[in-house]
Amino acid sequence: MKTLLNVAVLFLAGAFGLALGWAILDLPVAAVNLPEQLTAQLDMSGVVHPVTAVLLNFRGYDTLLEIAVLLLALLGILALPRHVSDHQHRPFTANPVLQTLARVLVPLMLLVAGYILWAGAHRPGGAFQAGAVLAGAGVLLHLAGLLPAWVTPGRTLRAGLAVGLLVFIAVAVALMAQGTLLQYPPGWAGALILMIEASLTFSLGLILAGLYLILADSRAQA
Amino acid sequence: MFDPIPWLILSPLIWATLAFVHGPGQGGRLPVAGLILQLALAAMLAQQIVAGGVRVYAVGGWGAPLGIDLMADGLSAVMLLLTQTVALPLVFYARAYFAGHANSLRYFWPLTGYLLAAMNALFLSADVFNIYVTLELLGLAAVGLVALAGGAGPITAAMRYLLAALLGSGAYLLGVALLYGVYGSVSLAALIPLIAADAPAVVSLAAALMLLGLMLKTALFPFHIWLPPAHGGAPAPVSALLSALVIKASFYLILRLWFDLFEPITSVAAAQLLGALGAAAILWGSFLALRQTHLKMLVAYSTVAQIGYLFLLFPLATGVSAEVAASAWQGGVLQVVAHGLAKAAMFAAVGAMIIATGRDEISGIAGVAARLPLTLFTFALAGVTIMGLPPSGGFAAKWLLLGAAQASGQWWWIVVMVVGGLLSAAYIFKVLRQAFLPVEETANFKLLPRMLEWPVLLLALASLVLGLGGGEVLSLLGAT
Repeated sequence: MKTLLNVAVLFLAGAFGLALGWAILDLPVAAVNLPEQLTAQLDMSGVVHPVTAVLLNFRGYDTLLEIAVLLLALLGILALPRHVSDHQHRPFTANPVLQTLARVLVPLMLLVAGYILWAGAHRPGGAFQAGAVLAGAGVLLHLAGLLPAWVTPGRTLRAGLAVGLLVFIAVAVALMAQGTLLQYPPGWAGALILMIEASLTFSLGLILAGLYLILADSRAQA
Repeated sequence: MFDPIPWLILSPLIWATLAFVHGPGQGGRLPVAGLILQLALAAMLAQQIVAGGVRVYAVGGWGAPLGIDLMADGLSAVMLLLTQTVALPLVFYARAYFAGHANSLRYFWPLTGYLLAAMNALFLSADVFNIYVTLELLGLAAVGLVALAGGAGPITAAMRYLLAALLGSGAYLLGVALLYGVYGSVSLAALIPLIAADAPAVVSLAAALMLLGLMLKTALFPFHIWLPPAHGGAPAPVSALLSALVIKASFYLILRLWFDLFEPITSVAAAQLLGALGAAAILWGSFLALRQTHLKMLVAYSTVAQIGYLFLLFPLATGVSAEVAASAWQGGVLQVVAHGLAKAAMFAAVGAMIIATGRDEISGIAGVAARLPLTLFTFALAGVTIMGLPPSGGFAAKWLLLGAAQASGQWWWIVVMVVGGLLSAAYIFKVLRQAFLPVEETANFKLLPRMLEWPVLLLALASLVLGLGGGEVLSLLGAT
């Protein structure tokens, strides 16, 4: 019975894969030429790189909601009832080589994150990538025993996690004064986008690191 | 003219994020203020649509297809009004429900805020990719809320719900990618004329993927398996939000896709299939509801059955005369509203009974009629709508659907609706009968705070009055 079911599922998945492959090979030429429109309007966006222009300006509203999705993922973990152990601050016996390496690497990683954030305006890069590098630094510090796990985030940490979204929303609300949601005034777009991206980098770094550092603690107890 | 559209999305985002910074168990006052504001905004938007027709809002001032457009028509306004109307009394209820249990409250408020932001954004979106983002926001918030109850059962239910929700939005996203590949746009306004002009076979594949994904999220039979443990295991205010509103959001999208975007490629056969699944949901869901021994599971299975009625709309409105289609469409949307109000009231009333008696088995509520008359009255009123008795909103909805079935000669749906109505009467009277039994001597009733009873009664009354004032809803729905 179970083999039969497996065969049926395999058959269906295979048929679906073939249909999808055929569909993709058979795609007609798109009626709407979006890349062309994007290039035509790029000058108005405040940045030079098309990906950043789409993410933060043309479809900035999507990104606003996506930041909320990321914060929500962390919130989902925090909302789970967890047993907090009594000895949270147990001494960490870490490898001294690892600790030295972390002390050397982390400042460099901060520098790289800053560069990626800045580069986003004119070449591939931006807040998401820079945030990921920051999160990597956080995880490395934890593994080296230099940063404790986050058992229950305090108010400062929560504010840090939310500040990217809050700045984004604040910009959206402030821009409502001149009429339209997330419509950057000409000349201001570049500066506003950089401000949003900088705060997003900070919060995304904390959120992504949090996904590890909050769970790291519960795993240690298991 | 003041424009409520962006504020309907910003308001819940703001109070949810502030409640998160405030901390676990904190920030219960913000949602009250936020929801009163949002209800006013939704009413204002409805008024503007009745007076001035469909509203389009270009976010960032770019306009589709480069930017994202928001759109509000009669249907969006009905859904927005329903969402805020159901959520506001539930906020008062939740404050009383979690009072003194700050620990179990945890991050209820931020999760609820993001849930409402996602729904408001979804009802206003006119962009298939933006809809995907709102679906993810909605799904993650809902899963987080289910997990709030803690314990092995709810966590397993939340995990299953997460997988179902991810599979559903994954299928939807695949369909969006195919549509973008074919037409080069994700804006509804751009896609509708393009699909009407020429739809290659790939578009049918995309349509099937998107509709299947949304059916999974709506928990239509046979995709309903994740729903009863998730809705039945969550804290009562969460169950009420999920059953009344969250599944309606994906149903709303099915309506949009079926009647707007994919209208040129829908077929009578596909509509009959959707109707058949709906009929199976009505019969199977009602039958299982009748067999439950726990209060919240009974109400959860009742949701499975009531979702079925929504899908009868498709065979009754596809391939028939315009007049019949209009009647079926009105009946379907009225059922969404009636069930939303009644099911929120029913879950909240059952939650109050469980708090008062300290037990969640149906056998444990003997004597509720004498000790909690108000809550039992609320449950019965909501039951009137679920059963579809006059003068409730559920009656008006089912009456319109029956009329459409009769006018289009599809008598088999009439049989399903009549049998479903009898079965729902059976499971509701099963609860009522037990409640009227004399109080057991060992029973120990807790006194309930007023906020656990009165806001819920308002919801049940609204579902009843909807039968008399349904014309208002229908005229808003018809506004173009």
